[in-house]
Amino acid sequence: MPLDTSTYDLALLRVDGRRWNELRRLDGQIRTQAAADGSSYLEMGNTKVMCVVSGPSEDKRRGQTSASTATGSNAADVAVSVVVAGFSSVDRKKRGRGDKRIQELQTTISKALASNLHTHLYPRSTISISLNVLSQDGSLLAALINASTLALIDAGIPMTDYLVACTAGSTSSYAANDDRADPLVDLNNQEEQELPFLTMATLGATDKVAVLVCESRVQVSRLEGMMAAAADACKGVRDFLDQVIREKGHKMVTEGTIEKGASMAIEIDA
Amino acid sequence: MTSLKRASEAGPFSSNISSKTYVRSTKSGKVQKIVREVYLRQDIPCSSKICSKCLAGAPRSAAGTVSPFVLSDKPAGSKAYPQGHYLVPDTNALLNAMDLFEQSSAFFDVIILQTVLEELRNRSLPLYNRLIGLTKSEEKRFYVFFNEFRLETYVNREHDESINDRNDRAVRRAVKWYNEHLAQTKAKKLPVTVMLTDDRGNLEKAKKEKVPATTLRDYVAGLQEADRLLDMIAESQERGLSRDKKSADFLYPEYYSMSKMMTGVKNGMLHQGIFNLSPYNYLEGSIKVPAFPKSLLVLGRDNINRAVDGDVVIVEVLPQDQWKEPSTKIIEEEAITKNENADGDEGGDIVTEQEKKALQEQVKKTQGLSTEGRPQPTAKVVGVIKRNWRQYVGHVDQSSVSQSARQGRKQESVFLIPMDKKVPKIRIRTRQAGELLGKRILVTIDSWDRESRHPVGHFVRSLGEVETKAAETEALLLEYDVQYRPFPKTVLDCLPKEGHDWRVPTSTEDPGWKDREDLRGLLICSIDPVGCQDIDDALHARPLPNGNYEIGVHIADVSHFVKPNNAMDAEASIRGTTVYLVDKRIDMLPMLLGTDLCSLKPYVERYAFSVLWELNTSADIVNVRFTKSVIKSREAFSYEQAQLRIDENSQQDDLTKGMRTLLMLSKKLKQKRMDAGALSLSSPEVKVQMESETSDPIDVKTKELLDTNSLVEEFMLLANISVAGKIYEAFPQTAILRRHAAPPKTNFDELANQLKVKRGLELRFDSSKALADSLDECADPAEPFFNTLIRVMATRCMMSAEYFCAGTQAYPEFRHYGLASEIYTHFTSPIRRYADLVAHRQLAAAIDYEPMHPHVRSRGRLEAVCKNINVRHRNAQLAGRASIAYYVGQSLRGRVAEEDGFVMKIFSNGFVVLVPRFGIEGLIRLRDLADPEPESVFDADGYKLTTSGSRDVSVELFMKVRVRIQDVKDEATGKRGAKMELVRAG
Ligand SMILES: [Zn+2]
Repeated sequence: MPLDTSTYDLALLRVDGRRWNELRRLDGQIRTQAAADGSSYLEMGNTKVMCVVSGPSEDKRRGQTSASTATGSNAADVAVSVVVAGFSSVDRKKRGRGDKRIQELQTTISKALASNLHTHLYPRSTISISLNVLSQDGSLLAALINASTLALIDAGIPMTDYLVACTAGSTSSYAANDDRADPLVDLNNQEEQELPFLTMATLGATDKVAVLVCESRVQVSRLEGMMAAAADACKGVRDFLDQVIREKGHKMVTEGTIEKGASMAIEIDA
Repeated sequence: MTSLKRASEAGPFSSNISSKTYVRSTKSGKVQKIVREVYLRQDIPCSSKICSKCLAGAPRSAAGTVSPFVLSDKPAGSKAYPQGHYLVPDTNALLNAMDLFEQSSAFFDVIILQTVLEELRNRSLPLYNRLIGLTKSEEKRFYVFFNEFRLETYVNREHDESINDRNDRAVRRAVKWYNEHLAQTKAKKLPVTVMLTDDRGNLEKAKKEKVPATTLRDYVAGLQEADRLLDMIAESQERGLSRDKKSADFLYPEYYSMSKMMTGVKNGMLHQGIFNLSPYNYLEGSIKVPAFPKSLLVLGRDNINRAVDGDVVIVEVLPQDQWKEPSTKIIEEEAITKNENADGDEGGDIVTEQEKKALQEQVKKTQGLSTEGRPQPTAKVVGVIKRNWRQYVGHVDQSSVSQSARQGRKQESVFLIPMDKKVPKIRIRTRQAGELLGKRILVTIDSWDRESRHPVGHFVRSLGEVETKAAETEALLLEYDVQYRPFPKTVLDCLPKEGHDWRVPTSTEDPGWKDREDLRGLLICSIDPVGCQDIDDALHARPLPNGNYEIGVHIADVSHFVKPNNAMDAEASIRGTTVYLVDKRIDMLPMLLGTDLCSLKPYVERYAFSVLWELNTSADIVNVRFTKSVIKSREAFSYEQAQLRIDENSQQDDLTKGMRTLLMLSKKLKQKRMDAGALSLSSPEVKVQMESETSDPIDVKTKELLDTNSLVEEFMLLANISVAGKIYEAFPQTAILRRHAAPPKTNFDELANQLKVKRGLELRFDSSKALADSLDECADPAEPFFNTLIRVMATRCMMSAEYFCAGTQAYPEFRHYGLASEIYTHFTSPIRRYADLVAHRQLAAAIDYEPMHPHVRSRGRLEAVCKNINVRHRNAQLAGRASIAYYVGQSLRGRVAEEDGFVMKIFSNGFVVLVPRFGIEGLIRLRDLADPEPESVFDADGYKLTTSGSRDVSVELFMKVRVRIQDVKDEATGKRGAKMELVRAG
């Protein structure tokens, strides 16, 4: 097995060879499924997710399995469902639909998106977002939010700005209590297991925080550095998403909007 | 290693991403495949001070700092590399010779490759940690180069390539890169980067690829102190080069494969446990396994099969016709294998003629008894799961050194006889045999192969002349792994700036006074042994208007000075306890705290942590509370002084009255504990009196116990129990507690039988109460010591008490058997025990004095702390005892003492005598009784040995005997020890 996160100090290198402020390899595509209203595929390192958006459509009875923001108001309801494939993680544990963690993910995403989308334009309707996790290697919530943003843009639903997310952690564990610890961004699974971390989503290039989730114990003194690193990383993610959209737009303009036999090129490493 | 295809070529790293696949097997036996991304980069510096290019592009931390470059621009050279060199060891070089790399005189400017670091971590965590320690040392200049992340030095595993070959290639690639990279700097004097490896294949390939490489041995041979350093290279590794030349004859059975052992253990056919060697017979071991109530016996070299005391081994039970009785005979390795030749080890039988003879006799004895039908199951070792090898102190067996080696510099094999009798002698190869004779030396065991009768090790360093105080003391500290180096600067930096001038702030507005009660008005005193400087505890008592008493136990507030997780705390947690030797104390905390600022010295104000009870006249607790406080002790008594003052009727002051109250209540508390079944166990405690000027011991006295000893003890127990309850209530998962498990019933079988046969006494041991009561009945009106003797023997049947984290045990398991208390912890000695310091922090949090530091709250960390302090605690006890034994020996030097002793163990060819006055045990063998050795008849069931012929004596178990004790040096082994002779029996 490789070394653990404690060797960071030796050469300022993380377990996978990145520096503290580097994102993993990002790969994104939109309109991966021509039949859907909006769709996307996103890889952040080995975390791979895809997203399909349908709607806005007239209100039907929602299924039990998705989180929604319906409050009986005159705004569209944002219904999010997350399905985690059994093969997506090393232990191949099957997560049921009622799994608490998944429900929490759904709620968080749903609330964040509802605040960003102009839902008041679609009263009494539902925007359904269905997310599939194909492979997990840390920063799952961030990847899901980013994929949703891409698919929602593809679906043409008006929004304030890109909602972009990234994780940030700290190079030393809570117990080690090292004040000189560096913050780090876009954690992989091993880092999430060993280090304290948070997930942050911001609106576009602003530092406006839409989501902040931190489930690990961390000294308050380190939090500020972690949040600043996360905000910077979100900007990097935004630039990337923007580039994906622009490239696709450029292609659609030059090649026409309809792609014959468009299919998604995913490789699943099972 | 596979390379993933990528969906798109976009992204900042697209051309530089690889991924690694690892296979991991889980506890439940599943196999998992883990794929990890690896980002390859070109900004990992070489860290050589001659390279300005790397410095310009060096990485920065989040704070913007650049790590300073490590490798010297003028590294040392050697004959082969006069222009200077950087060293790149491979994994085996580090595994075999870490001691060498830690030398302060050689091995500077070393590049540790990530490939090597990863391999080392998988092979040996302790060595990995030592290496990480080296990389932090500024003088040694060790640099970790992350070659697996650098684009130019990363290598992909080929299809038909083994992982080892791939890693070797990665090392060669990195060495080559270093040389090419440094050449670009165009420095005038260009150091060579040299690979150190002992793998022949790797060396040959390096030669072909023109990568500078050498064996560790060749490299060391070119250094200045080659002779000393060469001895430190593991023996086995050199043979690694020649192993394939001839297949040696195997002396020991082969170990089973790991999978065979695991399957066997799973289906109950094999058993895992810790191997223990008998202290009286080096050919007899025992192993306790979960499946059986009693230990399994492991007899003879073949069956012991290279297991060393403390190893975790797998055993297989032998067929019933090979079951035997535990030996009734003393067999000492030194005596039997005295004349073995260290060099002529190969070939031959592992069981020597002498050993065969000894065994035959034993079989006869056992079979003679088999009609009695008590043979016990025996087993053989079929594999070792984990070696418990450490570094051993010992001396070179004179007889194994040839005459020529005493003068010349020829390398030869010699035997090292370890101080620890349970460790077999170790064969080491050395060029300095002549110089090592008569020295205490430190060695490690490297391996024990099937073709070698004895384990093979290598020299680490010399401690000095045998029997000089410095060498013997250091030997003792090393043997018990006591951290005795002076406190480093980082630790001393944590001390209060004021030093000895520190005072309790005069203004009660000072933050130090926050939430502290002012108890300066109470008449508090401390009672300790004479000359005690680190005063942990002080007490007071005063009557209350309602007829009850207020009792206070005040403990030094160490946690005020030692904050969690600073350097001082880390050091204390490693040391775990203060170690008391006869003439030396190795402190857990720096002197300034232990003997001054924390110590509850008289007449000065001190911070304390107080436990305050209201007790009624029958010593029942009416209520209890805990508070941080400021106290002022009125007097520091010795036990004797306190006793005199209490007994002196003319003393009618309030302080003395308070002490009388304490004494009265302590007696009631003690009675209550005894009624609940607390055990009063004992081992004879001995005090060595020193003549102050020369600090040579002049006399040995058994410690006297006064009422005041028990006074202090009772209230400390009460405080510990009260605190245990409080912290458990506040932190049911993480409270640090101390438990003493009930001993397995079978532990007492033998003692019970002995008492029944010899004295017609019945030992009941179904509860601690029953045991306590029946121990009280084990008395001999004619011989007051008999009861103590039985208690000493009963103590050895007990489990040892241990620290634990509350969440790891169910509540019933918390019980302290010896003290008959449901729950217990250590709170009263924070100056000298780390557990108490943790308990202080937890109690402070429990009473909302301060928030709990994460360090004290993390259960994983606390479990690690408990594990460490349990070991430290035990080692400290053993070291203390060994120190006393050494001084008892020294005090006997040059004189002969005649003393009373008691027979506590009896064998067919000797017996063990305990001498209460000195607290020592000695073995008297048949051959010590007379020359020629007398004939003997051994009645195993009657525990009686009768000799005839050259001397007629009859010795029985528990018998009082008169012995002559003398300090003798064994000329053959150069070992000194107290030797006993029987003057008369009965
Ligand atoms: Zn360089």
